[in-house]
Amino acid sequence: MELRGKISKGKLVASGVIPFAFVILLIVYLFGSSGNLLDVGVSLPEVTIEKIDFVDGEIQATVRNTGHIPVEVAMADVNDRIQSAAIEPDRFLNRFETALVRIPFDWNKSEPYTIGITTADGVRFEKEIKAATEALKPSGELVGYFAIIGTYIGIIPIMIGLLWLPFIKRISKAKYNFFLAITVGLLLFLGIDAIKEATEVSAKFLAGSFNGILLIATVVILSFLGLYYSGNKLVKRADASPYAKPVALGLMIAIGIGLHNFGEGLAIGAAVGLGEVAFSTFLLVGFALHNTSEGFAIAAPMAKGKPMIGKLVGMGLIAGTPAIFGAWIGGFAYSPFTAIMFLSIGSGAIFQVAMAILGWIRKEDDKFLASASVVAGIATGMLIMYITSILV
Amino acid sequence: MIIILVISVMVSISYFIFPSISNAELEQKIFVTHSGAIVKTTGEILDPIYSVQTVDFDPDKFLREFNYGRVSMLEDGRTLREFTIIAEDDKTMEISPGIFYNVWTFNGTVPGPTIRATEGDIVRIKFINNGNKQHTMHFHGIHPAEMDGVFELVGPRGGQFTYEFEAGPVGVHPYHCHMMPLEEHIAHGLYGVFIVDPKEGRAPADEMVMVLNGFDTDFDKENNFYAANSIPFYYEHHPIQINTNQLIRVYVVNMVEFDPINNFHLHGNLYYYYPTGTNTVPSTYTDMITLSQTERGIMEFQYTYPGKYLFHAHKVEFSEKGWVGIFLVKENLENSTKGVKYGT
Repeated sequence: MELRGKISKGKLVASGVIPFAFVILLIVYLFGSSGNLLDVGVSLPEVTIEKIDFVDGEIQATVRNTGHIPVEVAMADVNDRIQSAAIEPDRFLNRFETALVRIPFDWNKSEPYTIGITTADGVRFEKEIKAATEALKPSGELVGYFAIIGTYIGIIPIMIGLLWLPFIKRISKAKYNFFLAITVGLLLFLGIDAIKEATEVSAKFLAGSFNGILLIATVVILSFLGLYYSGNKLVKRADASPYAKPVALGLMIAIGIGLHNFGEGLAIGAAVGLGEVAFSTFLLVGFALHNTSEGFAIAAPMAKGKPMIGKLVGMGLIAGTPAIFGAWIGGFAYSPFTAIMFLSIGSGAIFQVAMAILGWIRKEDDKFLASASVVAGIATGMLIMYITSILV
Repeated sequence: MIIILVISVMVSISYFIFPSISNAELEQKIFVTHSGAIVKTTGEILDPIYSVQTVDFDPDKFLREFNYGRVSMLEDGRTLREFTIIAEDDKTMEISPGIFYNVWTFNGTVPGPTIRATEGDIVRIKFINNGNKQHTMHFHGIHPAEMDGVFELVGPRGGQFTYEFEAGPVGVHPYHCHMMPLEEHIAHGLYGVFIVDPKEGRAPADEMVMVLNGFDTDFDKENNFYAANSIPFYYEHHPIQINTNQLIRVYVVNMVEFDPINNFHLHGNLYYYYPTGTNTVPSTYTDMITLSQTERGIMEFQYTYPGKYLFHAHKVEFSEKGWVGIFLVKENLENSTKGVKYGT
């Protein structure tokens, strides 16, 4: 019996491994013995200029080989005019390898520049910067500046939004479901918004070879699943006490919104850093209005629990502070890849939270999506977000 | 658990994404640009503008090289000049430091050899096309229709044709392949200069040929490089040496494709310009002329003061992509007018 079990286990392992062995064999065959087997078509070189920094008397371009074949960088130009340059560490780039091209150039502030890179076979790749601004160097002043921006767009609006808690607490069950549904609408909008932003970053900064859209889809779904799994455990544990459940749900919302705000902070910091946005009061007002609803989203489920000011403030901080960290990282060490990752994780997290709240509404309201208050709530939430988003 | 996993994946991915920073202490190279900026780098220098070049084609040699052919006398007393021109289209030429381009060539170079004859000479060109495409030789000038190199396609792979005509009229003319698509055949480099001297000759001078050309290396129908005699910036760091008070005669032919105009501006001097070189009287005395496709002419000038003088396209885009050079004028002690020395 035991022996048979062992044999079948061995068979099981073997049957699982054999296909892999064949895949490896196939790869070895294709790469090795007959390199010319698939020698049809032309592999084109591709170089992506990922980042351009304007420093004192110099333009620095970070270039990456994003094609399928090694490339040799031969020349740099500014506005399609040939310039002398230095390239570090060297001009030979293998797949995905990067180099820094330093072009001595007396650039003018806030003028547009196009930086071009020509490879040894004469193909030119370029990237345009709309307005040149000195690359940000971390200084005490700037750190403070970004912290203030993060506070204004993250912490303050959320705290204000939380002030709705006493109001939500006093209303009837049907109306309460309406407000919960608003939260769902807000969250759905935020989740979609994050995907849209990630897509934009991917289109603008990420080389095609990273498959930006698929990366976003993968991360969104993984983040959704991960948080669903851990969130479920959290709620199950919370089930023991009747007051803990709203807290658990509120915490999940706060974490989801926090991830989202981190991504938003990254985007804002990067926009300031890249000289694409002059951060105006108008923009701040837009973000503040927009994000106040995030505080509401946390407050709505918490209304069912005991009044716990400390916990509420804690959640506001969990949701809001990441905007500050995001702005710092985005401003000083922007990487489009990180921005996309965080925006996608945030999006998945928010969808998960929206689903959790929907589940809660379902328990409370038998009619669920057929109930007028729920439908109206979701619609209102999305409309609020859409209208305030126009301000941003 | 999941969070740790996610974080570790993120960290490893961002390590892969962020440009790797080497801590190795490398020797720093110092690199001074034209404007005096100093760049210290541990990497390599990409400098097509100011560094000495090591390309195959030698613009210095081409500049003053005239081919008069194998000369013999015909029964009627006229001079016969025989040339052999071989076309190829599989060569790769380093057209700027580190940049390689598939050139199509007459006798292996872009531009092809400068062919020179005297008015009334019989020019006989044995044309062999060793390329993989059909090519022809089309001379600007006066000749019978069947010698025009348009309808008699030659080759590929060893095809031959003999062009024979009487040299004329006097002047400087281009020759080029006239195979369709014409723009492609010219842009790849199938062109050269044909000079017809007047029977009575021209005044003795330091003579040179400048073919204004360009290369569209990425095939977007815009030139990536411009030059006088193919190599961008060449005469800037290999200045053309001439003497004061000596007549300089430049045969200029504009073979730039894609751009409707090109031009020639001379510093610290003006030149007498003979359009197409067909007249003995200059049309103008200027320091700037504009040339359309295959427009050409002869420029004559002499410098009074020694020193370095730029010449370049005053369509500055072209000069910043390579069509710029320097005349290094030296004191000519024999003909010196012993004037006052200017400058320091």
